[in-house]
Amino acid sequence: MESNRPVILSAQCLGKRLALGDEQLSILTGIDLEIKVGDSVALVGASGSGKTTLLGLLAGLDTPTEGAVHFAGKPFSSESEDRRAALRAEGIAFVFQNFQLLGALTALENVMIPLELAGREAPEALARSYLERVGLGDRARHTPRQLSGGEQQRVALARAFAAQPKLLFADEPTGNLDRATGQRIADLLFELNAEAKTTLVLVTHDPALAARCDRALRVEAGQLHPEQEPSS
Amino acid sequence: MSRGLAQRMLRRHWRGGELRLLAAALLLAITTVTGISLFVDRLERALVLEASAFLAADRRIEGREAPPEAWEAEAQALGLATARTVGFTSMAFSNLDALLVSVQAVSPTYPLRGALKTASDPLASGAVTTDTPAPGTLWAAPRVLLSLGLKVGATLDLGAVSLRVDRVLTDTPDQGGGFLLAPRVLMALSDVEKTQVLRPGARVEHALLLAGPESSLGVFEAQLPEDFDGRFDLEDVRTGNRSLGRALDRAERFLRLGGLMAVLLASLAVALAAARYAAQQADAVAVMKTLGANSGTIRRLYLGQLFQLGALVTVLALWLAYGVQAALFKLLAAYVPVALPAPGWVPWVLGTLTGWLCLLAFALPPLLELETVTPVRVLRRDLVQASRKGPLYRGLGILALLGLLFAYAGSFELAGWVLLGLGGTSAFFAVLAFVLLRSGRVLGMQAGRAWRLGLAALSRRQGASIVQMLVFGTALMLLLTLTVLRSSLLDSWRAQLPEGAPNHFVLNLDSEERAAFQQALEAEGVASQPAFPMTRGRITAVNGEVPDPKASRAAARLTEERNLSWSGPLPEGNEVVAGQWWEAAGAAPGLSLEADFAENVGLTLGDRVTLEVGDQHFDLPLVALRRVAWDSLRPNFFLLLSPGLLGDRDATYLTSFFLTPERQNALPSLLREFPSVSIIAVDGLIAQLQQIVARVSIAVEVVLFLVLGAGGLVLLASIQSTMDERLREYGLLRALGGSRQRLQGALVVEFATLGVFSGMLAALGAELMIWAMETQLFGLPAQSHGILWLLGPVLGVAVVLILGLLATRKVVSVPPLTVLREHGA
Repeated sequence: MESNRPVILSAQCLGKRLALGDEQLSILTGIDLEIKVGDSVALVGASGSGKTTLLGLLAGLDTPTEGAVHFAGKPFSSESEDRRAALRAEGIAFVFQNFQLLGALTALENVMIPLELAGREAPEALARSYLERVGLGDRARHTPRQLSGGEQQRVALARAFAAQPKLLFADEPTGNLDRATGQRIADLLFELNAEAKTTLVLVTHDPALAARCDRALRVEAGQLHPEQEPSS
Repeated sequence: MSRGLAQRMLRRHWRGGELRLLAAALLLAITTVTGISLFVDRLERALVLEASAFLAADRRIEGREAPPEAWEAEAQALGLATARTVGFTSMAFSNLDALLVSVQAVSPTYPLRGALKTASDPLASGAVTTDTPAPGTLWAAPRVLLSLGLKVGATLDLGAVSLRVDRVLTDTPDQGGGFLLAPRVLMALSDVEKTQVLRPGARVEHALLLAGPESSLGVFEAQLPEDFDGRFDLEDVRTGNRSLGRALDRAERFLRLGGLMAVLLASLAVALAAARYAAQQADAVAVMKTLGANSGTIRRLYLGQLFQLGALVTVLALWLAYGVQAALFKLLAAYVPVALPAPGWVPWVLGTLTGWLCLLAFALPPLLELETVTPVRVLRRDLVQASRKGPLYRGLGILALLGLLFAYAGSFELAGWVLLGLGGTSAFFAVLAFVLLRSGRVLGMQAGRAWRLGLAALSRRQGASIVQMLVFGTALMLLLTLTVLRSSLLDSWRAQLPEGAPNHFVLNLDSEERAAFQQALEAEGVASQPAFPMTRGRITAVNGEVPDPKASRAAARLTEERNLSWSGPLPEGNEVVAGQWWEAAGAAPGLSLEADFAENVGLTLGDRVTLEVGDQHFDLPLVALRRVAWDSLRPNFFLLLSPGLLGDRDATYLTSFFLTPERQNALPSLLREFPSVSIIAVDGLIAQLQQIVARVSIAVEVVLFLVLGAGGLVLLASIQSTMDERLREYGLLRALGGSRQRLQGALVVEFATLGVFSGMLAALGAELMIWAMETQLFGLPAQSHGILWLLGPVLGVAVVLILGLLATRKVVSVPPLTVLREHGA
């Protein structure tokens, strides 16, 4: 059954080098990766191992110096930045460690942004329903400044899932939260993910969080190693 | 979608305060330009209207022949008011006696500007009238009646016609600066033929007076035939009255300069505010790009915000400008009795255009650069991509600024000096600021902790500090320049018309009467001024060639009979611009001409000029050309001779005295005692000039006030631009245990140092700029302004410290955790 599911995201010989003066600093080398529709994959690794760089490349936020990324069977990393943005608008969502809400907009307006960018009908109603789903229906008119860290991350979750993405990238989603709040956010993330059957790529250094994914990959010194096969 | 989002973001950013500074700067730019333009436009219309009274018209076409009927018809077709005058001198005969009078025959519509005043008794003061003399009658100046011993109702013969003296003419608007030897008589134009005075060869001045809207006058002037210049002169307020012309020119230059500086400062504020807004938006753009926005969407989003903001601010600013200008005039109502003409459309367009040019050139570029923000910024905030279009946008901004400068200055000279001042001083400032920062740090090494902290903050942000010093320094420099120029301008106007300046001129005093007249004055307690000998003379030949006065206007002017005088020393208010004054060592005696007059009639240094005085001819070399201060109300002569050249000719004398209003009753007895003497009162003219100067001064103050506002905004914008960095740094310092008191102290040190250095730069720049402007633009004598070196630093510290501490009070009052969380480390 596993082999029936199509590959949604793949990387071939992916590498990223930075020029530091005359020298080349290699951050990632020879990354090969295949993620199938509905998979949940954790990228784990120590600080500075290159996992965030890998996430940036996979999500098309940055371009690789070698290799390629394909999204839904189509070349992704070789496309122009605007084309990549359009592909992201169609099917990719994000949750960040530092929430990345627009401070000037209300919770509701933040959730509406990706819907408007993708040209969805009735974005406000849809956004409102997702805010209610994350338990913030009564805080719709509040700005991020008036919300706690946990609440801000809920808004970010509502923003991510309201767009009904095929693929969700989460970068240390509980990294800025205390343990209890982090736990509740993680629960909500996996709950919504299960409902929407979204493919999930999760960057974390928290083994417990990684364990809740189908599989985990370890990034170490710029290379990718399989970590373990979770039993569940 | 992006329009809805743009609107929402605009609203939110407005509420959040991010856009307020940008909006305020833009509002100020448009309000200032529109306000100043409206004010200047209306004030100038009012002033010109008032000043036109000196010409009795807006334009005056003058010639030896009558200007053609067709021109008058053409002018009337354009909606212009017209009048005609014919001026000549003639003997007027009563039954017993005769007197040379200066006759002005006028059409019933005369005067088109200003008013005539008449009385029924030669010793009474006059009342305004709208009539002109009816056919068969004349109005005569008091001296005519006093000299001939006549009363109103008597008959005077002028040439072949007898006219009844109907009223006493006390005031005519167009007696202006010219001194008439003979007293004035006004008669109806329709009676001129009957006098039979206008025979061929008679010296007659025909004039066609015009008044009406400037645009119609322009159309009329454009239609004048090509041979016009040879036959006629066209005078307007400026050419017709030199003192007023100069005052108006200088005022206009100053107001333009003030407006120019306000625009520059406001542009600077717009640029700084927009750059800060853009920097704040980089994170938001990265997030939106991550969520799928392409560069087109980003561009539309921010352009949308900018245009919506621009449109709102424009409407508000225009409304505000009208209000400001209307309030100003209301305030001035007591001083501006003239009914104010409505403002033209130009100020509105100019204001709006300036605002949008400002917006597009200075606010748009940093916002357009936002589309190049890379989405990876959401993961790694330190990632800043160098923009490819940055230099292009900056270049466009500078070009737009140049365009603005030239458009607004209306003169390449003015714009050039401002540019040179700004460019030169900026480059010099940057170097100096660097040196000052270095020396500040060395001093700080030996100072207390708050000092060290504050100075360290300055040199850590060395680049930003230099830019801030430049910005502060430039803003202060412009303010100082304007302040000093304003006071030297006002001083120079006041100096033209000092308290107690002679306000009465005495003509026709013969050498025997001179001493007696002086005694009579002293008996009345009035001090008399030095007397100038004067006679009439005519240039008949140049280098042996006799010019034909009918051949050209220049030749006619050259051979006209004029007043001439002689003097050993160079009279006050005269400056030799070519040749040598005869009192100089080794210089030869001869003739000196006023430089412009010499140029107009085509005479150059070294020409041999034949002068006819009485029935004698004198052959004299032209040895010196003089520039004359016409704006001083002193007797001035086109022709001056070295003493003794004319032999011991009988001359009449010209002198002057100052009479206070309370002593005016001394005049009639003087006139009775010396009936052959002409006394010309110019106190009315002086009062009018003083009034105009007072009004223009108010306009100048208003402009200075607006520029001050713009300067304040620039300072605020430039402090705001380093606000995020400051918040982060001081937040960190407080988290590490820095007390609020010490950090406050450090901020005081930082801003005070910045203020002192900026003030010193400003003083230096202002000194240079003022020197250039005073000597090159305003024709004022150069002088050093020591006060700048005190005013600059003191003002710098005060303004920068107050604005700086106000703007950064958040830095020490917001809890450090909030600061670090919101602004990241």
